Amino acid sequence: MRQTLIPGLAAHPLFLCGFRPFYLATAGYGVFLLAVWSAMLSGGLPIPEVPGGAVVWHAFELIHGFALASVAGFLLTAVPEFTGCAIVDRRRLLGLFLLWSAGRVAYWLAGAITIWPAALLNLGFLAWLAVMFAPPIWRDPGRPHVSFLYALAALAIAQAGVFLGADPMSWLYVATGVLMILIVIAMSRISMRLINGMLDVEGVSGVEYLARPPRRDLAMFAIGLFTAVEFLLPGNGVSGWLALAASAAVFNLLNDWHIGRHLFNRWVFMLYLVYWLMALGYGLIGVAILGDWPLVSAGRHLLLAGAMSLAIFAVMVVAGRIHAGYWLDRRRWLPVAATLIVAAALCRVLAAVPVLAERANFLMALSALAWMAAFALFLAHFWPVLVGPRPDNAAGCAEPVPLEDTPKSEFAC
Amino acid sequence: MNLLRAWLAGIPAYLWSGWGAISSLMLFFALWDWGAQVHGDLVLPSPLATFDTLAGLLAEGSAWQELMVTARRALIGFALSLAAGSVLGLIAGLSMTASMMSRPIVTVLVGMPPIAWLVLALLWFGSGDATPVFTVFIACFPIVFVGALQGTRTLDDQLKDVARAYRLPARMTLTDVYLPHVVSYLFPAWIAALGMSWKIVVMAELLSTPDGVGAALAVSRSHLDTAASMAWIAAVVGLLLAVEYLVLEPIKREVEGWRAIQ
Repeated sequence: MRQTLIPGLAAHPLFLCGFRPFYLATAGYGVFLLAVWSAMLSGGLPIPEVPGGAVVWHAFELIHGFALASVAGFLLTAVPEFTGCAIVDRRRLLGLFLLWSAGRVAYWLAGAITIWPAALLNLGFLAWLAVMFAPPIWRDPGRPHVSFLYALAALAIAQAGVFLGADPMSWLYVATGVLMILIVIAMSRISMRLINGMLDVEGVSGVEYLARPPRRDLAMFAIGLFTAVEFLLPGNGVSGWLALAASAAVFNLLNDWHIGRHLFNRWVFMLYLVYWLMALGYGLIGVAILGDWPLVSAGRHLLLAGAMSLAIFAVMVVAGRIHAGYWLDRRRWLPVAATLIVAAALCRVLAAVPVLAERANFLMALSALAWMAAFALFLAHFWPVLVGPRPDNAAGCAEPVPLEDTPKSEFAC
Repeated sequence: MNLLRAWLAGIPAYLWSGWGAISSLMLFFALWDWGAQVHGDLVLPSPLATFDTLAGLLAEGSAWQELMVTARRALIGFALSLAAGSVLGLIAGLSMTASMMSRPIVTVLVGMPPIAWLVLALLWFGSGDATPVFTVFIACFPIVFVGALQGTRTLDDQLKDVARAYRLPARMTLTDVYLPHVVSYLFPAWIAALGMSWKIVVMAELLSTPDGVGAALAVSRSHLDTAASMAWIAAVVGLLLAVEYLVLEPIKREVEGWRAIQ
């Protein structure tokens, strides 16, 4: 039975390339999680009995379940492309995917079967990823992508802290900082290709987009310092100023992006908004800490439900099609879904504003609905892309081959 | 007109590039806050306490008056040193003999501590506006003078020859050959002098006048009011930062733009 089931499953087009099962899982699990969480908040479902309580569960699953699935999908596709190593073997991909799924189940059941199976499975998943990526990234001349390895290691430490540490929530804040840094690292690579590709295709001359390393380094330094100080001195004014420094440093990154009207191209603008949400999130956290306002959590939601979710969505809609052999999706649903994510993040902030306390529940529900709708739209439009065979019936993660009669601008709105 | 349009279009980008500076300042405030927590508010008030006090002083209305008085003294002294230093420096730079002669005098002027000038000024002018203005002038003068002198001395003779060989009109020689070079030396000197003028004026006021930020600092010190002292310092530094980044730095970029082409 085992001998036929596993090769049979692995032969499914879903396992053609690393991002496929994980992007599907990201969107599917995200919608499911938020639906369950909303039902729990409204009292319709019992709160799962996990160590640390319901909020830790909510944050852990969204960070180490939902977001990590997208990180895995991204790395499984990007690392072979960046370093020229072979793409992941189908059976191994199936194994990784099953390990990630088992990690989810184990954490849900942590109340009954203790936290240790979840710890073992979740950390095992990260360890497997690290072991797989370390050799090609390390062997790459000049090691230009080694920061991905450091980010993975930092994520693993932050995750181990949740299982071993006295205050799991503080370790989830650390993971948030690591994810923001990972977004800055990943976006600098994606945006250089995407924006300059778009400018090339449109035949624009004289405009060049450069993700300048000093600006990026300042942003990562400020985010890292804030994360470290917040962990060591929670609620301290120093971390408030550092959050403001992180916010300004992220705004400073946008200097690279002001390339005139081309900024309003849908692909460029989506990534641009990620940094806006990130900067606003850190700004809100900083102001809330310094002013002693109860808006720190709202700021964190701008980072996670806003910046991170939009970054995940943007990467999935671009890489998810290109590496499945399709050209970029130019349909209307895409900007609608991106707008829904931004709206969800803003609604979540409004729900925390004391003046609107009476409407908090409504705004919270609205935020959850908008967020779920965005990823449900993704699922509906990407199901055939991720689960079905490639249009050229080939294997692997290759990009579509340009044809003579391909429309001139694939990147245009 | 096109130049003006291009310059205006560049303003948002310039302002946006200020985020990097804001980020660095916030990192500095974090360090300051940490120091305040370690040493306590009496020794070092936190940034928030300082800004609160400053906001209080500004809301009260008296702060603006003190700042205006200080700004007036600093700017008059600065303007005098700028005019005298630039003109005399340029003239001295034109002649090798004058440069040689002026060098030891400049060394004396630079070497003289501003506080010594302040003592002399107090003896000469008493405790009026003239004392801080003179101290600012005499402290800033050598900086501007040296800048102007070096700007003229380092003019490329070959460029002069080329200009002459092509019979460049005098106006064009001045605006396209001499000015860009000289200004690229003068401007940094002006900016250094402006920073200097703010520091000197506060020091001079502290010891010599009954009004201005320096005098207010003296009062807050005698009351052991560290928060008010820090607030005044923050106000002076904030004003200096604003003038430097909003006025001088854009002009500096404009006049030094030609250097990037090299």
